[in-house]
Amino acid sequence: MPQNSKLIVNAMLKTQELQLNIGPQHPSTHGVFRLIVTVDGETVIDLKPVFGYLHRNHEQLGEVSTYIQSMPFTDRLDYFNSMANNFGLSIAVEKLAGIEVPQRANYIRVLMAELTRILNHAAAVAFMINDMGAWQTPLAYGMREREKILDLFEMASGARMMCNYFRFGGVVRDLPPEFMPQLHDLMRGLPTFFDEFERLLRENEILMLRSQGVGILPKELAASYSVTGPVLRASGIAYDIRKAEPYSVYDELDFDVPIGSVGDVYDRFLIRIEEMRQSYRLVQQIIERLPDTTGGHINPAMANIGKQKALRPPAGDAYGRVESPKGELGFYLVSDGSTRPYRYKVRAPSFINLTPLGDMCRGHKVADVVVILGSIDIVMGEVDR
Amino acid sequence: MTVEFARGKSYVVDRGKPKTRAGQGMLAGLDVVIRHFFSAFGKKVETQADTSGVFTVQYPEERLELPQAFRNFPILLFDDATGHELCTSCFQCERICPPQVIHMSQATDPVTGKAIPAVKEFVIEYDACMSCGLCAEVCPFDAIKMDHEFELATSDHLSMTVDKAGLDRPISYYQAIAPRFWEEAKDSALKKLAGNMKRRSGNIGITPSFIGKAQKAAPAAAKAVSAATPAVAAKPATPPAPIGKNMSEDKLARLVAIRAANAGGAPAAVAAPVAAAADVDHGGAEVAAPVAAAPVRTAPSGGTSAALSTGVPFNADNILGGVPENTAMVEDKIERLKSIRSGNIGKGE
Repeated sequence: MPQNSKLIVNAMLKTQELQLNIGPQHPSTHGVFRLIVTVDGETVIDLKPVFGYLHRNHEQLGEVSTYIQSMPFTDRLDYFNSMANNFGLSIAVEKLAGIEVPQRANYIRVLMAELTRILNHAAAVAFMINDMGAWQTPLAYGMREREKILDLFEMASGARMMCNYFRFGGVVRDLPPEFMPQLHDLMRGLPTFFDEFERLLRENEILMLRSQGVGILPKELAASYSVTGPVLRASGIAYDIRKAEPYSVYDELDFDVPIGSVGDVYDRFLIRIEEMRQSYRLVQQIIERLPDTTGGHINPAMANIGKQKALRPPAGDAYGRVESPKGELGFYLVSDGSTRPYRYKVRAPSFINLTPLGDMCRGHKVADVVVILGSIDIVMGEVDR
Repeated sequence: MTVEFARGKSYVVDRGKPKTRAGQGMLAGLDVVIRHFFSAFGKKVETQADTSGVFTVQYPEERLELPQAFRNFPILLFDDATGHELCTSCFQCERICPPQVIHMSQATDPVTGKAIPAVKEFVIEYDACMSCGLCAEVCPFDAIKMDHEFELATSDHLSMTVDKAGLDRPISYYQAIAPRFWEEAKDSALKKLAGNMKRRSGNIGITPSFIGKAQKAAPAAAKAVSAATPAVAAKPATPPAPIGKNMSEDKLARLVAIRAANAGGAPAAVAAPVAAAADVDHGGAEVAAPVAAAPVRTAPSGGTSAALSTGVPFNADNILGGVPENTAMVEDKIERLKSIRSGNIGKGE
């Protein structure tokens, strides 16, 4: 359709293509990110994402740091979900060094990871709506829920965003006594939030017009770009690492995987709301089972931080991956038997999900580019590392 | 299309009606917003899940309670009675610090030149610290802990490199901000300190603010340590405690009371408990007294925490009626502002 109209217009008028920069400093690019957009009038002919402005040498830092020293640095990757990032590194190192994790620690980990998913999706949807121009109101609703979860994180780990909560073999400390009452309280309010949030936005005519049929990412293309996470599931592929390769205790918990049918922005929006509901289910199950779990919050062999610091995994390599709220977050570690990894590689979901942006935007209007970018849910801290 | 998994399945999300309607969806959304708007009146916030009422916290005067695990920047602990620092310069924190901002040197015996379990110099670059808390976690002597102080904004960058004088806090301070954590660490920390104090002499290992004061001899140290633990009298600059988490209808009256109390010249009595703030007449001075009389609370730097107590205090005048002195405002504007503000106060009551 756009191609067609372009031909007609071209035949009638002599138009000129224009190259346009969106970013690096632009409020709608979610960070320091540049888009080179070739436009013909309002229509996007081509789009090239340029990143690297926020490069912080994360992987190289990992190679000059001991394993535990990398843990606080992973918080800074995707600063919305520091718990999920901690989880990824922990799993990779535990695989590499063969460390067992007690059951209770595993449940606490999954609890934190699922709370992280709720807060990420609440914020991601809110920011996406913000990008559409619904300034403030939905954002305030999403951020309000996020704040409550951050309060819980602060209680458990000491920090709201840079949690640094996971340790190899468990978590740094057990949940404080005031944690559970507040979690129950949060859980009481969450279903109302989901319903309200959906009622507020789901059938909003403006949102539907702006998102339906916009930024379609076909199944095959998504798979060939190795897109993961909600973006892939919105395209209709039921791929979730929690199901495909269950880690931690996900194989003991019941949850479903929502998938989309069209793969447009609207589907990504719906998927995120459904995933919040599934995470809510998971947290409910964890609350039920947490009192009956065995083992402490950390493997006794690793409880002393001196052990974490002096960790010397046997030479070899390991790839640990988790389903972070944004997609597959993988840590590839190569050990040469010393206290520092020989190679430390991060497979960042934001980065890989961003690569098909050009394909998604081609043929749409410039205003849609911002919405499509918002629907991928990127964090530049993770894209550039 | 759906796939069955071990415990669960995949399902296709319902996209709803294909046709957009004439604004019903928007009206439904508006309904949600309006409900929230009206629930903001008269509804009190009892719990976190019920935050649909008014839940503004009047920040400088009123604060939420920080969890004990909260961590901002590292501080060093010293014994209240003797001034002996718990740090023995074992270099564990310096080694583990991911951004490498901790620097220290070991104290040596002036006569023999042998190393003594005490720290000579200790510097933390607060400006590059990432508050990960690994130093506090790794410390075998519980000498380095994470502070709850977070209002450290300054225009003086160099002041963010903090030495021992700025880092040292009495044990009672840490006990006040994190009682549960100190309870866990107390026994082993004090035992180790008592052992280390025997190996120190003179001013070595004494916090700078104690040097020059009358000191107890080393043999008496063990007793002093045990005496220092409860330390109710020597309450340091009280950590920010909540005035009241939930906003009640008499909130405004309470805030006015706090501000009036602050106007008495005391440093912002942010930590004033509710009861004390409520009866202003005699409570004001007493509330402020322990804060003002706080012992050896060296500010991390010249311009940071000091600004809390000396810089622009929140007093009744500059909030309720007055304007800051250096503001260039015409007379009638000031009058107008005063009348608006007093009118607002009247409405609230």
